[in-house]
Amino acid sequence: MNRTLSIVVRRLGSLVATLVVMSFIIFLLVEIMPGDVAQMILGQSATPEAVASLREARGLDDPLMQRYGRWVSGVVVGDLGESIYMQGVAINSILWRRVGHSVLLAMTAFIMFVPLSIFFGVLAGVKENKLSDSIISFFGLATMALPEFVSGVILITVFAVQLQWLPIVSVIPIGESIWQNLSILFLPALSITFVMFGYISRMQRSSMITVMNSDYVRAAILKGMPRKYVIFKHALKNALLPTITIIGMNMGWLFGGLIVVETLFGFPGMGSLLMTAIKTRDVPLIEACVLLITAIYALSTMITDIMYSYLNPRIRFQGGQR
Amino acid sequence: MKYILYQLKKHPLAIVGIAVIIFWLIMAFIGPAMLNFTHTQIDSENQIVGPGVNGHLLGTDSLGRDILARVVYGSRSILTVALLTSILSTFIGVILGFTAGYFGGKTDTIFLRSMDILMAIPPLVLSMVILGILGDSTIVSLTLIVSIAFVPATARVSRGVLLTEKSQEYVSAARIRGENHIYIMFVEILPNTTGPIIVEATARFAYSIMMVASLGFLGVGLQPPTPDWGMMVIENKPVIAQAPWAVLFPAIAIASLVIAISIFSDFVSKVLIHER
Amino acid sequence: MRRIIGITLLILLIAVPMVFAGGDKEAAEEQKSVRVAEQVPGLITPGVWDGQAFSMNSSIYEYLVDINAETGELDPVLATSWKTREDGKVWEFKLRQGVTFHDGTDFTAEDVKFTIERTQDPGLGHLKKADFEVVASVETPDDYTVVVNLEEARPTFIYQMTDYNMAILSSSYDYAALGESRPMGTGPFKMQQMIPKESAALERNENYWDPNLPHLDRILIYFVADIDASVSMLEDDRVDIVPFITPNIKNRLDEIDGISVISPYQEQRFIAMAVDQEPFDDNRVRLAMKYAMDPEIIARSVAQMELGDGAYYNETPIMNALAEYKEIPHRGRDIERAKELLAEAGYPNGLSVDLTYASDHPFGRELAQTVQELAAPAGFDIRLRGYTRDVYLSQYWLNVPFSITGWGGRIDPSMLLALAFKGGGSWNETHMDEPVINDLIDKIASEVDPDQRTMYYHELQEWFHENGALLNVQVPYLVAINDSIVDYRQPLTMLPQYKYMDIK
Repeated sequence: MNRTLSIVVRRLGSLVATLVVMSFIIFLLVEIMPGDVAQMILGQSATPEAVASLREARGLDDPLMQRYGRWVSGVVVGDLGESIYMQGVAINSILWRRVGHSVLLAMTAFIMFVPLSIFFGVLAGVKENKLSDSIISFFGLATMALPEFVSGVILITVFAVQLQWLPIVSVIPIGESIWQNLSILFLPALSITFVMFGYISRMQRSSMITVMNSDYVRAAILKGMPRKYVIFKHALKNALLPTITIIGMNMGWLFGGLIVVETLFGFPGMGSLLMTAIKTRDVPLIEACVLLITAIYALSTMITDIMYSYLNPRIRFQGGQR
Repeated sequence: MKYILYQLKKHPLAIVGIAVIIFWLIMAFIGPAMLNFTHTQIDSENQIVGPGVNGHLLGTDSLGRDILARVVYGSRSILTVALLTSILSTFIGVILGFTAGYFGGKTDTIFLRSMDILMAIPPLVLSMVILGILGDSTIVSLTLIVSIAFVPATARVSRGVLLTEKSQEYVSAARIRGENHIYIMFVEILPNTTGPIIVEATARFAYSIMMVASLGFLGVGLQPPTPDWGMMVIENKPVIAQAPWAVLFPAIAIASLVIAISIFSDFVSKVLIHER
Repeated sequence: MRRIIGITLLILLIAVPMVFAGGDKEAAEEQKSVRVAEQVPGLITPGVWDGQAFSMNSSIYEYLVDINAETGELDPVLATSWKTREDGKVWEFKLRQGVTFHDGTDFTAEDVKFTIERTQDPGLGHLKKADFEVVASVETPDDYTVVVNLEEARPTFIYQMTDYNMAILSSSYDYAALGESRPMGTGPFKMQQMIPKESAALERNENYWDPNLPHLDRILIYFVADIDASVSMLEDDRVDIVPFITPNIKNRLDEIDGISVISPYQEQRFIAMAVDQEPFDDNRVRLAMKYAMDPEIIARSVAQMELGDGAYYNETPIMNALAEYKEIPHRGRDIERAKELLAEAGYPNGLSVDLTYASDHPFGRELAQTVQELAAPAGFDIRLRGYTRDVYLSQYWLNVPFSITGWGGRIDPSMLLALAFKGGGSWNETHMDEPVINDLIDKIASEVDPDQRTMYYHELQEWFHENGALLNVQVPYLVAINDSIVDYRQPLTMLPQYKYMDIK
């Protein structure tokens, strides 16, 4: 237990350090971008005087470090600032709802692709080089090669437009919550599932193959134990161990996929909020979104690492170096 | 050579993959010369016509531009960016990874920490934010940004490979001879590590194409009228009911190229790693 | 045991954010509602309102006068009558009595004074500041009379009060703090609930000054960034109105029963050539460009319409729809002539020039690419430089030799002329400083007799046709609506008048 705790503490520490550095980099990147936020806000008809006075009013001409300091001191107390477009509207009120939606979407995708990928990956590994393996492998390859927006467009056209089983656009009607509209989750999650299935089933397959070729498995089979028994009793346990790492390694694609999918389906999540923020140069909102995405991503990687250390007996009981 | 042919026979799928890649390379090089229309030619008489109509083999889009021409021209830009990106990211990755792995200690720690930070943002998010802020992208900006997003991965692989080699005898032999560090790293070690590095580079190639296409879809692709396959999909999505071919063909192009490169990458990994 | 704790903690960690995803449940009653899908708004407080989310603001706020969507005449709204003295130097408005703001306070002359004086607030960045600098003072002799004294005579000043940023605000409401989250006006609908960047629900103003209006009980507005998604929602019967659609989408909707596409007014796209630098400083080069253009192809490519039937083209700053417009026949595409002109001007082998435009503005890309294609045979090698709108406007717009910019139409184009085509004007894209034109513009602004004014306009247009540096492509503003919507009105001010609207 202490081992795990110390790992958790250490990782949390490095997570915080990463976030601090990231926050500065994000802030820097976004603040030095070309284009004038004030001009954007005021639009085409703005006179130079109007633009200048708006810049002053919003503190856009203050020195860089001062703006950074203001922002960070806000973030630390949970105040992500105000959208540059909306004085009096805290970003918090916009953001957390969307975060909840995105997490829900990611969870839905998870529920879809994790069991599928593991099952088919193991199956392909067990039946290496046989027909079923070839089919599964190729299918995994094909779906992996389809970027989310391509599979998304195809899904929309087939299921929503032609068959009309599901809504075309994943928008929540005014006055309702996402819980009353769970059908909007399905198609976006499915698009993400395709890509993730490709990656994970392939890795699961090679993990399974490695285990099947390991000495003790082969020994067990040579000794005469029935193949199925060996697979279920021994091989499976060891092949599943790296699955967590595998999933963790591909989290980056999941996040990228979320953005593409949310934009395509109009899903009210963090990804589409980030897109809107970028298009409208809403500086505080961009910073808040990117910071949050980074935090969640880093957190999920950390959780994966911790779970791996915890579940891997070699590490847990011997305190091996990672 | 014979070994490669032998492997090819064992894996017929790889032949298909290589064939597709060669097909697109040919398209990129001499395709434009074989076409009837240019990729920018606006034909207001023939807007949204289906494949085969009026000489437009794959139909036209809403401006009357020939889809076949745009797909072929698009192959140039996407292949260029993907190729340059995989080369650049591998190049930088090797330099960084080798240096970190070779010198170890503080250099290595700095390296690992910086890579951790860079990896903290999902690559698509990073690219999207930077490119979105810069405005319409050029081949140069796309290549640079995506390469930077990929460097952590290639650097890690290079570092891992170098660590494996570091303990080999020929390395200590070279040290004793008095060779300088750079010589050891790149003249002695590098040739022995080409296998995994090439595999990684080909994998990066496939990922680059996916990334560039996705960035195009998100609206930060190449400046029009340069055709960008991802942008073609999003541009024509509003008229998908009337002109499905305008979306379908760029999508097929993307998928075919990525699948082919992935198959090729698998094959290369089998061949090269066997050789060890 | 520990394993169970660990897993429970993990589940909690994941479940907590999802709690935030929950929203309020509304009791659905039988009400007449109309649903609109609009662009995501930027700023919405009048004064700094950047011209998005017209559905919302036009229902919440009101103006002194409105433009009648059918006749183009001025309709009294918060002002019941008006008159001018001294040829437009003094304007007197009589205000409507018995009007209350949504927060219960009375509407009086003080509010009009506040609204007008607010334009000059240095810290606000009011978009109409320049236009209202001509106001010398605002007097309120009694609660329902406003007298506006101008520095100079402006016969058409009243049209300034129809500009969408001149919504009448309450002098006692804190718009600086609440303007973005809780808009408040005198309009037929009031804000019930808003989820920023996502949706707004408006409900009927029970205390509206016209007892017969509005007809509807609720207006539900969805902010959707992607036009394709909005249209899909329309097809799916999730919304009833989608404004600002593109011609492609119009074609797509033409085939669907129950949905119509209407075009309440035209917008302009100015293709401007800078006359103070190469290559367009030579009028022969400008003429060559004009000879290379084919209005019919432009109409079809850009607007997906036939020329004259929704899309228009001329070489002056005056829109075809306006009363002041003079019909000048198109010169017709003549590539040979264009090449000759270029050779005469010293470019026998053609020339290269950058065309800068806003790539995310409707029609921008299509128009840029069409111009590039059409000018190529004449020897123009045009390189396209597209930027997002804010970058384009802040860094390139007034500094490049060749550009495309979107301009709204105006019932009274004289203000636009002064700002864009007079020497020294702040929006002068063509960098023109032509004494003849400067003179004409001044005369137009101060001329009281409408017929004489029209003569000046015609002179101006003729000059532009021969020597000007402008191509004016007029594209339709398109709205897709469900056929169950009755009486949709939207005049050139861009403000839809939902109070008249009803649903079958």
